[in-house]
This record gives sequence, C-alpha cells and structure tokens, in this order.
Amino acid sequence: MNRPDILVGNNLSKRYGNLEVVKGVSLSVAAGEFVCLVGKSGSGKTTLLSLLSGLEYPTSGHVLFDGKDITSATEDELALFRREHVGFIFQSFNLIPTLSAWENVALPLFPIKMTSDERRRRASELLAKMDMTDRMDHLPSALSGGEKQRVAIARALVNHPRIIFADEPTGNLDSVTEEAIIGILKRLHTEEGVAILMVTHEGEIAKTADRMVQMHDGEVIS
Amino acid sequence: MNLHYLVNELYYHKRRTLTAIIGLSIGIALLIVINALSLAYHDAARAPLREIGADITVQRSGNVPKELIGPVFPCSAITINNDEVKKIAELPGVKGVGKAVLLWVFDPHRAWIVLGIESQNTIGPAILLNAVTSGRFLGEGKQEALVEAGYAQQFAIKIGDMITIAGRTYPVVGLLDASKAAKIAVANVYLPLAEAQDIAVSSKQVQSVSPFDRQDVNLVFIRADQTKITALSSTLHTMMGKQATIGTPDSFLKLLGSLFALSDKFTMAVSLIAIIVAALIAFKTMAGNIAERAREIGVLKAVGWTGRNVVSQIMAESVVQSLMGGILGLVIAVVAAFGLSFMRVNIPIPWEMSPVPHFLPGGGDQIFKTLSLPVHIPWTLAAFAILLSLIIGGLTGGILTRTISRIKPSEVLRHE
Repeated sequence: MNRPDILVGNNLSKRYGNLEVVKGVSLSVAAGEFVCLVGKSGSGKTTLLSLLSGLEYPTSGHVLFDGKDITSATEDELALFRREHVGFIFQSFNLIPTLSAWENVALPLFPIKMTSDERRRRASELLAKMDMTDRMDHLPSALSGGEKQRVAIARALVNHPRIIFADEPTGNLDSVTEEAIIGILKRLHTEEGVAILMVTHEGEIAKTADRMVQMHDGEVIS
Repeated sequence: MNLHYLVNELYYHKRRTLTAIIGLSIGIALLIVINALSLAYHDAARAPLREIGADITVQRSGNVPKELIGPVFPCSAITINNDEVKKIAELPGVKGVGKAVLLWVFDPHRAWIVLGIESQNTIGPAILLNAVTSGRFLGEGKQEALVEAGYAQQFAIKIGDMITIAGRTYPVVGLLDASKAAKIAVANVYLPLAEAQDIAVSSKQVQSVSPFDRQDVNLVFIRADQTKITALSSTLHTMMGKQATIGTPDSFLKLLGSLFALSDKFTMAVSLIAIIVAALIAFKTMAGNIAERAREIGVLKAVGWTGRNVVSQIMAESVVQSLMGGILGLVIAVVAAFGLSFMRVNIPIPWEMSPVPHFLPGGGDQIFKTLSLPVHIPWTLAAFAILLSLIIGGLTGGILTRTISRIKPSEVLRHE
C-alpha cells in the first residue's frame, strides 16, 4: 500500500560551532510507518531525531510535516505542533518526579482547557492499555523501569499523535522488559496506525521495523 | 498553570521550599518588627503629651527671683502673654489651645506646687478629671481646690478642709491620684486658672522677674494636626524666642535615645536591607530551582508546553512560595511583637517640664513616664509586607523568565 509521507526532512544539517553533527540528511516517514534509525554512538541519530521532531532548528535544510514547513515556525508554534501531532518516548523516561503516573500521562494536556476528571479519564484509558491501572496514583519513584517506560508511552499517546519519536526507548531496560516495550510499540503501530521513528543501536530491534535507516558520522549511509 | 503540579512541586521538594519560605519569612518578619518597633517608640513618645490631651507644650525659661518667698514662677516657666497665646491659637495646624499657670508657693510653713487649670478644657491638665479618687473635680467659676492624694495624706488634708495658699483660702473638693496623672502636670494643689492668675498677678516676686497680666499664663498646651507638628514646632521656636521650650513627640523621642527612636533613616536602612536579603534568598532559591529543573522544563516544552505555559507555572510557584514566606513572616512578627510589648520603656521628662522644684528633696531627680512599649502591627504594615512578598515572588519569577525561555526543549535529549 502506498502511504503518503507525513514527515519529510530535506537536506538537514546541524552544526555546533565547528562541529557538523548532521550533514545534509534527507529522510521521510510515511503515515503509519515504523522506521528505525540505527548507528553507533555519536553518529548523529538523536540530533536528527530532534531536528525532525521540531525540538531543535536545523542549521540548514527544511522539515515538512504534512507538507507544511515547520523550520520557519516560532518556538511556541513548534510547541503547539508537538502538542497536537507528536509524541515522545525517551531512553530515561523523563517523567516528572513529583507527579503521579496518571498526571505524567496527562502532562501534555495540562495547558489545554479541560477538567481534571477528563484528563484523568484519558490518562487512565491509556494506562489501562499498558496494564498499569493499579499503578495510576504511584509516583515515578515507586515504579520499575519498565513501568516508567509504559507511563512514558501512555504520555506519548495522550494527544493522539500521528507520529511518535522514540529515542533509545529500551536503552535503560533489561532484555525481558525491552521485549515487552517493543511489543507495545509494535502493537500501537499496528492497531493505532501511528508512525514511529525510533532511534536504536540494537540491530535486532531495528529488524522488526518497516524500514531501517543507518547513520554514520552525521550522514545516512543506507 | 496547574495547581496540583504546583502544590506537588512545593510539597515534594520540602527542603528547597522550606529554605525559600523560611529565608523570606525572616526578612519579612524583620521588616515588620523593625517598623512596628519604630512606630511603637514614636507612639510611646507621644504618651506624656497625650496624657494631657495635647501634642505640643510651650513654656519659656527665665530668671529666678532673688528670694523664694510667696508665689514664684519656676525658672522654666515664666510669662507667656495673652497676645502670644492668641497668635499661637491662630497658627495653621493648631486645632485647639489649653492654658495653665504653674506656681511654686512658698508660704511660711509649707511649700505648694500649684497648678491653675481650665476646668472645662480637654486640652491641658483638666483632662486629669479621671484621676480624681474621691470628691469631685473643680466646678466652673468656683473658688475651690483639688489636692494631690499623697500630699493630702502627708499633711492630713481631707475633703471639706479649707487650705490657705498665698493668703487665699479654698475649700478642698476632691483628691487626685498623682500616680495616674501626667508627669508634666503633676502638682500638689489644682486651682481654677483665674485663681492662679490672680495669685501670680498679686505676687511681687513674680512681677519682679516676669511681668504678668491677669490674662497671661506660663504653660500652653496645643492640640495640633499630626502632620503639622514638626512645622509648628519650628514656627513656635521662632515666635517664642530662644528661651522657649517646645515639647513635641519628637523631642521626647530624642530623649529616648533608642536607635529606632533616633532615626527614621535607620529604620528605613534596616528595612531595605531586610527586603534585599529576603529578595536575594527568594531569587537564589528560585534560580537554583530552575537550574535543577532544566531537564524537567525541557520535558514540558517537548510535550507541547509553550514558553508562556512554563513561565506561568514557575512564576506561580515563586509567587505562592513567597506568599507563604510572607504569611509565615507575618506570624513570626506578630509573635515577636507580642513578646516585645512586655518591654517597659522609660520616657525621660525634661527638667524644664518637671513641675517639682529641683532644690526640694527629690526635685532634682530625673522623672520618667514609664509604660509598656505599645508594639502592634498596623494592618497597613501587615498588608504591605504581604504585598511585598507577592511582589518579590512575582519579580523573582519575572527576572527568571529569560532563563526559562533559554531552556530549549532539546535539553530533554542532552543526557540521553
């Protein structure tokens, strides 16, 4: 099935002083596609992910989301873009330590005008999908690594994103939990039709994706 | 701004929150207590004058007669003529004037301190009406006397007795407790003003050093507009000459010698230091808080919080934290003020204003008005302190807005 591209990066470069971390990379992700970005440490995978997700501005090149150039957007416009269309999953979970599991899931909804009950309802639905109903009111400090990542996945889904950016989502997990988390991501991809761009250095995980993109020294090599 | 997130941040970071709240509260408490103390000293300094229903007293020093026989004026209170009194009454800021004549009467077997008072005027010694312990106060236009209770006991004077002062005889109609009386208006015997004026007019000793007419007096009490007391004092000094003694709350305040009483600038300086220290503590804590939470702020921005969303959340934390500091500071200040209100303060009465002849036994002793320091926190000061804590919180959050806006959402990936 030919799916339209929802995310297109054209000739993207990122330079920090004299160091060029991403060198003229072009990459696209189709709607509902699961793409893995692989490469060694320092190859520029995470920087490329941050450029494509609108976390950072490229030094040159453009990022188009649904055909709309987001590189010319202001920081607040980018924040709104991320709130409406994007979900993030990070290696070290990045949960807010003072908020409970359900509040962390609802974090992207806090700036949106809605009742606390509505936020809780949406968060609890997602936590139920992650088999986390009994851990809803726990603080992150009371959760295991796998549970934290499930909360983070639920948070990434709470705004019904069209694409999820995952940066080494299993990097801090043991192999059993890693398998479970990848299983959840695959299920989301299949059942919800969410596009996923995942950075990983695990070749085995990457093989389960629709497409694997390999980076080396800031460039896409395959 | 999410209230629950705010409360959790303050609750789960107890140490950080308490440091900020306690630091700020100490500054705010210091500010309130210093100002309350200053107000209390100012208030205390008004007490000696307030007791006689006045804000300013006027008297004039002069010579002592060669011989202390019969009625004489104390050297600290010679004639103030009627024209001068009228001019004083017309000065801007003067709300009313009371008059009195203070005499020392040296009769062959007894010395009297005699005060002639306007029995119906609430400005001046007639306010001592409440100090009458038995009998009654002076009636208007009647030739009668009030005797100080201690003096009456010493000389076995009772109500209904006739006493003779400078050859004039008066029935005693009441006794007055001097301990309840104002230190400035203490006398052995109180007579109607006209009687004292008649005694003074007839006294060769008085006339020899200080010509005195029937309408003249030697003590003037002024009730004045509080905002014009300082200006009036200056005008009176000019009007009455170098020999004038003008008693004002400020002149009593100077005698107190306290740092708080001496200088409004001192109070201002310490208050300013307290505010700056409080603000710095609040700022340092919040700055540390933001530095610690750079990654968390990055997460918020990454998941779609705009800069404004983040700033309002952090600003609200800062304001609430500062408000709590302000409230705690106010509570500490209230407790401190309560403790300080047990402090006794002795207000020295200048010798010129003491009616007791300094050459009599005990007459040269320094007399004091002793009272509990009236420390209280006016609601305006409390409101100012709370408002100030809110401003400090708002400013701190506001100043740190730039720091917050510099934190990029990609911060979240920095430690990945």
